Amino acid sequence: MLRLFYAFFRREFTYIWRDRGLRVVLLVMPLLSLLLFGLAYRAQVLTDIPTAIADLDRSAQSRALASDIKQAENLDVVAYYNSYEEIKRAIEKGEVVVGVVIPEKFGQQQELRRPTRVAMIIDGSNMVYAINASVAVLQVVRTIEVKSGVKVLLAQGEHMKDAMNALMAVNIVDEPWFNPTINYAFFLVLGLVLNIWQQCCTLLSAMTIIGETGTRSWVHLKSSSRSLFIIFLAKILAHLVIFMATVAVLYGLCFEVLHLPLRCDFGKLMLFTMGFAVAMHSLGTLVSSFSRTAADASRIVMAIAVPAFVLSGFSWPLEAMPQILAQVVKWLPQTGFFQGVIFLSMKDASWAYMSQYYFQFLLFALVAYALTAVIFRLVPQKTS
Amino acid sequence: MKNTGDKEVVISIRGLVQKVGKRTVLKGVDLDLYRGECLGVFGLRGTGKTTLLHAALGVDRIKSGTIEILGQNIAKNQAYKKKMGLVTQQPSLFADLNVAENLDLFRVIKKAPFERLEDVIQRLQLEDYLRETLPSLQVGVYQRVALACALLNRPEILIIDEIIRDIDLESRSVILQVLEAYLEEGNSCLCGFSNMEHVHYLDRVAWLDDGMVKIYSPDEAENIWKELNAVIPKKRGEQDA
Repeated sequence: MLRLFYAFFRREFTYIWRDRGLRVVLLVMPLLSLLLFGLAYRAQVLTDIPTAIADLDRSAQSRALASDIKQAENLDVVAYYNSYEEIKRAIEKGEVVVGVVIPEKFGQQQELRRPTRVAMIIDGSNMVYAINASVAVLQVVRTIEVKSGVKVLLAQGEHMKDAMNALMAVNIVDEPWFNPTINYAFFLVLGLVLNIWQQCCTLLSAMTIIGETGTRSWVHLKSSSRSLFIIFLAKILAHLVIFMATVAVLYGLCFEVLHLPLRCDFGKLMLFTMGFAVAMHSLGTLVSSFSRTAADASRIVMAIAVPAFVLSGFSWPLEAMPQILAQVVKWLPQTGFFQGVIFLSMKDASWAYMSQYYFQFLLFALVAYALTAVIFRLVPQKTS
Repeated sequence: MKNTGDKEVVISIRGLVQKVGKRTVLKGVDLDLYRGECLGVFGLRGTGKTTLLHAALGVDRIKSGTIEILGQNIAKNQAYKKKMGLVTQQPSLFADLNVAENLDLFRVIKKAPFERLEDVIQRLQLEDYLRETLPSLQVGVYQRVALACALLNRPEILIIDEIIRDIDLESRSVILQVLEAYLEEGNSCLCGFSNMEHVHYLDRVAWLDDGMVKIYSPDEAENIWKELNAVIPKKRGEQDA
């Protein structure tokens, strides 16, 4: 029994290594994606947001305001225009993301201490740019508002200290925990790389059954007196070893080379990932048990694995989805994994919290493998 | 185990009906394979030779009928599998493994001792091909490897499908010698073939046509084949005239 297990365990490695396509998918794709995502998010935070200013007043006050905007941390003033129309055209062409229009008589209104309106237009077509631009603009607005208020109070005869205290009476301090600089790389790189990894691994797991039954050599296994269960178990374990070896390399590069935060024990993260790998493998195996061809199995698992990541709550919270959809995707292993892996790596979540995901993986794997066994027994595999 | 006179039946097929897709390929086949004989299953392409051989091997579920191998109903008992060997018409060895790796994997599957490997390698003259990949092999050498894998467990019954069709003379000679020795040891062989040139290597012929089987001696089968072939030119001649 052990000899049979070892023979097929070893043969699975040989098979994968000699299949250039599979080798590339399993070994090169996740590493390549890590390289690409690591490079893409190297800047970590979005700075130098292209900004244009149209100063229609050209007063000392408006120039001071333009200067404040220019000094804003994440805004990069790349153009000055003379009209609202020019700003509009620049945003439409994508030359700038933020446009500031300082109206005529801005300085005069300031002198008269009348409210005045400065338009800050943000290109919302790119969500990431838009959110960052909004935050950057908000910071500038807060600074300008405080400066303006202080000026008014000073003009009313208040002392500088009192004026500052009056305006900053309620000081709201935001403290982003776990990712203080709101670093995009911390959140996105790990998730995106693991997404590529899980897709590549799901592709291999989709070969578990059909990879044998769909080949001509299947007739020899079927006509032998040996246990098919042992043969498939050997294949499954070989796959899991490959999945875990690949992800160990990816984690190593993420945490040691890219210095992504890892607040939990590495073993804990690997154990959690293995739980997911088993559940994910069971899904691929289930698909491979009813697919007519290997190509069909690949198509079906991709049709599950790709949207499963999008719907996992990683890029859009489950709470914001229609409840029925959220309830359905909650049972997909990808949902538990992408939520759990962030909780573990960034917060070192406790066993009490993580146990729900382990339970979900275990239950999913048991159901999927059991269904596979039933389908395998019920659906005849033709050999002629 | 059944005996017909002094002949021991090793495979007994009764009323075998088998479908491929929606087509009924076998329509109630009765067939006996005796110990020590080589029974050829003759049929043209698409007549169901492979379907019959695979059914006889017990790898495909059959629509109806009973198959007994070495006295055991194969629907109820799988023990017979240890005593079977198979060589398929299409290449069916493990394509990702080389010759030596295939032989070794089959040795494990068939629980054969390591010494048996050397024996089959020597008998089928495969020493020079052990490191070769399967796609690089000539058809004849491939069939020698396939036969070597099939013989690893010393099977009592060998099921072979078109093993010597379109292969080189050297490989044909090696395979026929090995099969002769195999049969002399009291083993049996069920052999699919579609080229009447090979009929005299067989003891009897099961002629498969329209889903049914008729049994002939090799001479009878050859004569029927000649008559059938003679009709075709005659009909053409009549049309030309």
